[in-house]
Amino acid sequence: MTTTDPDEPMAKAGRRALARQRRRASAVRFWTRYRTHRSGLLGLAALALFTLVALTAPLTVGSDVQSVTNAPGQPMESPSAEFPLGTDQFGRSLLGLVVWGSRVSLLVGLLAAVLSVAIGALIGITAGHFRGWFATVAMRITDWFLVMPTLVLAIVLATVLSRSLGTIVLAIGVTTWPTTARLVRAQTLAVEARPYIERARALGGGHWHVMSRHVLPNVMPLVLAQTTLIISSAILAEATLAFLGLGDPTVVSWGGLLQDAREAGAVSAGKWWYLVPPGVAIAVVALAFTLCGRAVESVLNPRLGVAR
Amino acid sequence: MDRHDQHGTEGTVLRLLAAAGAALMLTAGLATPLDPAPRRAEAKDGEQVLTVAVAQSVDSLSPFLAARLVSTSVHRLMYEYLTNYDPKDNHAVPGLATEWEPSADKLTWTYTIRDDSKWSDGKQATAEDAAWTFNKMMTDEGAATAGGSFVANFEKVTAPSPTELVIELKKPQATMAALDVPIVPRHVWEKVDDFSEFNNDKSFPVVGNGPFILTDYKADSYVRLKSNKSFWRGAPKFDELVFKYYKDGDAAVAALRKGEVSFVSGLTPAQAAALKSRQDIAVNDAPGRRFYALAVNPGARARNGKKFGDGHESLLNQKVRRALFMAVDRRTVVDKVFQGHAVEGEGYIPPRFSAYFWKPADGQRIAYDPAGAARLLDEAGYRKNGDGRRVGKNGRPITYRVLCHATDPQDKAVGKYLQEWWGELGIGVSLDCRDNVSDPWLAGEYDLAFDGWSVNPDPDFVLSIHTCAALPATPKEIGATDNFICDEKYDELYDRQLAEYDAAKRADIVKQMESRLYDTGYMNVMAYPNAVEAYRTDQIASITKMPEAAGNIYGQDGYWSWWSAAPADGGGSSDGAGQTGVIIGIVAGVVVLAGLGAFFAVRRRATAEDRE
Amino acid sequence: MTADATPSPVGRTGGPRVRGTAYPGYVAGKLGGAAVSLLAVLVTSFFLFRLIPGDPVKFMTGGRQVSAGQLASYRREFGLDLPLWEQFTDYCGKALTGDLGTSYQFRAPVMDKITEALPNTLLLTGTSFVLYTVIGVLLGTRAAWRNGGLGDRLHTGLALTLYSIPSFWLGLLLIIVFSVGIGPVPGLFPTGGMESGGEEGFAYVLDVAHHLVLPVVTLVAVEYGQTLLITRSALLDEMGGDYLTTARAKGLRDDLVRRRHAVPNALLPTMTLVFINLGRTVAGVILVETVFSWPGLGGLFYQALSVPDLPLVQGLFFVFATAVIVMNTLADLIYPLLDPRVGR
Repeated sequence: MTTTDPDEPMAKAGRRALARQRRRASAVRFWTRYRTHRSGLLGLAALALFTLVALTAPLTVGSDVQSVTNAPGQPMESPSAEFPLGTDQFGRSLLGLVVWGSRVSLLVGLLAAVLSVAIGALIGITAGHFRGWFATVAMRITDWFLVMPTLVLAIVLATVLSRSLGTIVLAIGVTTWPTTARLVRAQTLAVEARPYIERARALGGGHWHVMSRHVLPNVMPLVLAQTTLIISSAILAEATLAFLGLGDPTVVSWGGLLQDAREAGAVSAGKWWYLVPPGVAIAVVALAFTLCGRAVESVLNPRLGVAR
Repeated sequence: MDRHDQHGTEGTVLRLLAAAGAALMLTAGLATPLDPAPRRAEAKDGEQVLTVAVAQSVDSLSPFLAARLVSTSVHRLMYEYLTNYDPKDNHAVPGLATEWEPSADKLTWTYTIRDDSKWSDGKQATAEDAAWTFNKMMTDEGAATAGGSFVANFEKVTAPSPTELVIELKKPQATMAALDVPIVPRHVWEKVDDFSEFNNDKSFPVVGNGPFILTDYKADSYVRLKSNKSFWRGAPKFDELVFKYYKDGDAAVAALRKGEVSFVSGLTPAQAAALKSRQDIAVNDAPGRRFYALAVNPGARARNGKKFGDGHESLLNQKVRRALFMAVDRRTVVDKVFQGHAVEGEGYIPPRFSAYFWKPADGQRIAYDPAGAARLLDEAGYRKNGDGRRVGKNGRPITYRVLCHATDPQDKAVGKYLQEWWGELGIGVSLDCRDNVSDPWLAGEYDLAFDGWSVNPDPDFVLSIHTCAALPATPKEIGATDNFICDEKYDELYDRQLAEYDAAKRADIVKQMESRLYDTGYMNVMAYPNAVEAYRTDQIASITKMPEAAGNIYGQDGYWSWWSAAPADGGGSSDGAGQTGVIIGIVAGVVVLAGLGAFFAVRRRATAEDRE
Repeated sequence: MTADATPSPVGRTGGPRVRGTAYPGYVAGKLGGAAVSLLAVLVTSFFLFRLIPGDPVKFMTGGRQVSAGQLASYRREFGLDLPLWEQFTDYCGKALTGDLGTSYQFRAPVMDKITEALPNTLLLTGTSFVLYTVIGVLLGTRAAWRNGGLGDRLHTGLALTLYSIPSFWLGLLLIIVFSVGIGPVPGLFPTGGMESGGEEGFAYVLDVAHHLVLPVVTLVAVEYGQTLLITRSALLDEMGGDYLTTARAKGLRDDLVRRRHAVPNALLPTMTLVFINLGRTVAGVILVETVFSWPGLGGLFYQALSVPDLPLVQGLFFVFATAVIVMNTLADLIYPLLDPRVGR
């Protein structure tokens, strides 16, 4: 595939172009197959919508929506023409807050998932590649993390560190990586058993070369599917931690809104409009990521037979 | 599930479990129509039960260890104290003691103990019990955990006769009619080995002489008390009093709506508004005992003069403190954060304690004035830099760390306002919200902090926590101090009031102390939050508030509310709403049964097919 | 190799294959592994919680004035004056005898607090577990058999949706609708807690069952989806197998093929994951317990953490992790017994 030979720059460039072409072809193939998954497309569309909303939030609602001193409405107004989803306890527009909160919730979900998958992939690939004592130790640690109750560990971490978004990202990322590590390691072992790896080694490819040029591209699809699925649980985890009061109270997020609503007594006061929108937003985004992840998985492994 | 039993016993086990689960759901479904709105306060075997929703966990049922409000409230009901407070105006009234008198040199107090108070096991409560209780606290460190400060100034406590208790003091102390110490029966407590371990929650009923007798307790589930029919002031009107746990405020309010509980406290503004429209529920929005303040770190230090902590240097400047004071709109805090369920803050002690309430005169008053605040900061030498941020002496923009309680929604809400108000001034605010603030607080590692204390009828305690004597002896120790304030003028006044046995004169000195505290700008009392509570009028006919005219019900300084509560007659839940409840409950039960029926039908069909 | 418990609803199936290995040896290996894991948890729970900021002694004194002598005596009482490694050996030694120390805030043995709350948590998780497993497996089997059909899409879709809903949010909504009541609908179920108190005998059982309904419905709703999806994909995996084609060729009816052959085999990976899930449900129940004021381990944990009540937090963490380890080991041990391809 992409064995490099430092003495022949021309040939190298040619091979690179070839590799790029192949990758493009496989991406096209992937998309063609993905397109046949209706639920996957639905999830993707929902995600595109939410991403658009989050990115354009500064233009549509603006950061003023968070201001408590300039809140336009009365506390906990019910939905009206002026405030389509009603107002919160400070009289801020809930629609604006849900839109603004999507930035934090999506960002935290994304970063936490990236962190989690990065740790998992790193440990999985190295453990699969190096074998020996390193692999044993790495997999022992992985197993050990696997038996730790994730939520409990995340709560502990969020308590230990100061209350900030970084803490939440860290708490989620550090506790959810072991599954990825195991999957990636299995895949790495499978890839490294293939004959061309032998050839690459014989041609003088070092550890770094083998891992970055051969193993990584082959585990990438798996990593991609895993990331999509983990974002979904990361968004739920963010909401959970914020709901338990472990989030940053000065930042507007969906989980934080739910916590505010509960603390303000919206549940028993029957102010359902304070409670429903953030929860629906969380559920929809988590569902969308799950649908996409399943579609990707099914493309990679058709035997799973995800409904089309 | 019924097909894999051929592969081993696990299947059978699972099937059994499934059956058990189904049975459980079935019983639950059946229970529903039979009991749609469970009766609570109504007669149960002719007994009147008063159920109160609480959230705080009991830390200990031993009066020697308990510090939390819920536990001390239960102790008020279980044991008689020497004195009690009048529900009308908070003055001391007889409890276990009928009279009390200081000696001429102010150092000896003699209490006359009543002879009509009996322990629930039939023995007489005497001065001997009281003397033993105080002596135990003075000699056993484990027994001094909760109330050690009450006996710190005691020289000697004796009981010359069963009706006479004598307390000798080291120095004069004006608070001798406000000793909030439960007197326990000596003959029961003598048997305790280790007071630091004994929680008084193993054998029931617990021997006591208060208006109620503790009969059962299950951690975070309930505290159950029955009325003491031979209580000297007269038996309570309810036969049973139950504190039932609802960790979630919404759940407690929902339980009140359904009549599962008779009383709920600590309502949010939204909850109070929603409950006000109900005819069978009375909302009590009463002036509270608490003040809610923003405390400045004045540079933490110990009595030995050692400085510690890292409070911001600019806060040592009185002008800066004043400017911060001026940039807090207390009106908005009351209107928006408390949504009217609070009184705007003035002096240190809430207006409910009218004898000690003080408010600044017009010239002295620090009003909301952001422009004036900016001018003051400029004067003090903290000017804005190019980015519009005020810079400290070290040349860096000022950002104050404000300690807040993560469990307190008000702290977080006011914090948001502070960020915007002080942001306008060019000062940054970083909210440091924690479940447990005591660590940075005691180490002096904060700039400002949200602070609040419940004030007792005798204000000595809340005044004492701002004296130099309350500072820790060394940085390693813990002082009684609130936020490290140490002001000579204030201390001098404090000593004078403690030795002043004339009530009016003492009150006057206390007001001078409040004035001094206000001027220093260390404590910005923003509001006196109301006690927002609600009870079912179809279960409680009447209940004494404290102060009687407009006061709170839960967490009183005394047992008045629960002792005086009278049951309403007539069944609360047998009205129209109850009828609908029964009907809808039955419908729901039928639906559940139909669902289960369908489920089993499907299974049977499946099995039948399998038999082919 | 232990089976992975994926956080994703798409369970990766795959369990230990112990062909040719003698079962007793396999059991010994698994039990040894579990013992090592338990030890690791014990060690971690000790060191992890030393990281939590906050001086427990300062909490215990509750803001009262305390002299240096008293502070020292508190530290002595709870063994906090010893060097860290000595505290550690002390802790391990005691833990082995079942003594997890004394709770700072309740001043009672941690073991007592845990044994008080454990049955309540087990009642809640056990009931939910049975229900969501039964429902998940039944619906999962149906969905797989009608792969791609309307029923499959409906079941899978509903399972995925419920799986994406935060459990605490669902709990709050259920409270609004079924406890508080909406409009003319009165509340049908208690809002929280486990018992009304004062009931005895059968009335008590009914009372607890009545309190149990909403928390159980919440847990079942968010958890059954995973079992459904695992069963479904395991079954689909299985249905590709040659022996099924053979069975069909023999002229067996579809229904019988499914019941006699596909389902039992597909249940293997499902059961493995189901057991692991049970361990996780015990830990994940924190939220539901918080929302419904259920007096179980979850509520206790949250309360202990905010102090921080180190001995209690440590003890609870140990219990949660032990639950997962025990369930994993059970899954490992049961797997070969269930696997028809392994001769017994």
